[in-house]
Amino acid sequence: MAHDPQRSSSSRPPNWALGMDLGIRLGLSVVIGLGGGLLLDNWLQTSPIFTLIGMVLGIGAAMATIWSVARDAMRR
Amino acid sequence: MPEEEGESLIHVAIEAEPLFDIGPLTFTNSMVGALITTAVLLLAAAYMTRRSSLVPGRMQSVLELPVELMSGIVSASSTRWRSYVALILAFFLVILVSNWVGLLPGVGTIGITHVDASGHEAVIPIIRPASADLNFTLGLAIVAFVMFVYWGIKANGGGGYLKELMGEPGYMAPLMFPINLISELSRLISLSMRLFGNVFAGEVLLATMLALVPLFIPAAFLGLELLFGFVQALVFALLAMTYIATAIAEHHSSGHDDHGEADAAHADHAPAAEAAHA
Repeated sequence: MAHDPQRSSSSRPPNWALGMDLGIRLGLSVVIGLGGGLLLDNWLQTSPIFTLIGMVLGIGAAMATIWSVARDAMRR
Repeated sequence: MPEEEGESLIHVAIEAEPLFDIGPLTFTNSMVGALITTAVLLLAAAYMTRRSSLVPGRMQSVLELPVELMSGIVSASSTRWRSYVALILAFFLVILVSNWVGLLPGVGTIGITHVDASGHEAVIPIIRPASADLNFTLGLAIVAFVMFVYWGIKANGGGGYLKELMGEPGYMAPLMFPINLISELSRLISLSMRLFGNVFAGEVLLATMLALVPLFIPAAFLGLELLFGFVQALVFALLAMTYIATAIAEHHSSGHDDHGEADAAHADHAPAAEAAHA
């Protein structure tokens, strides 16, 4: 095969895939947190404590995701 | 084909539809799509291993094109790219072929006429692209997830990986652990849902266009789906690659550069060794 690793290693892998992923992950983080909280509340009959906690954690996870992606992009 | 006015027999169900049973296993139309994908890849692999030459012909050049493209991208991701290039290539090729199987004539349109309990008639397509089934995309995403967790643990150790999830400083762990856990889970779900959503939406779009305007117009959408199929395969492979490269980069940035240097040295010598072997 005519692949040349020396030549291609000078270029960086594209970051646009991460950009496409980020939007979905932001929404999903909140959905997972909120969904988990709702399930726990239904199970333990503690509504709305875990729903609120899950929502806060989900929003926190969304912000942590932005931070982590930005940090990794800067490292690379 | 009996068809009421304004109602098409062509439909795309959100779940894969069962065709027949083999013992306890229900065989669905997306499994047929997965088998066709496997057969195409196996035939291409057999051709490449038996008939490839140093000066490639037209067929060999076409088959090498996607492999060269992905190898070029993966080799720029980290110094340990040789360890995971095969996995990323496999993701790319399986998803690409699976997406494009949905564009073949007859896929989604030739099927078995089925009358449900309410008397409504519908065609169950015999072949459905595997990537238009959430089970398939979730399976691929789980493999990718396991691999980048594996690389995280291999690079940082089990304790190091847990420490990464707990975050720093230590007293923030009760807050950071669930946050990081949700963030990790969102990777798995986003990988699978994006691929499924895009391919399934493409199938629905094509079915709708065929029902509305049977001639010429669907051809333009087929062209678009050809492009989207390629882009989605590329996005999945690139994300899996980026996650693995990130797990390794975290290891490098934490001051354990010995493996990286060793691998870099290996990477430097490998092309020379390959040339000597050839």
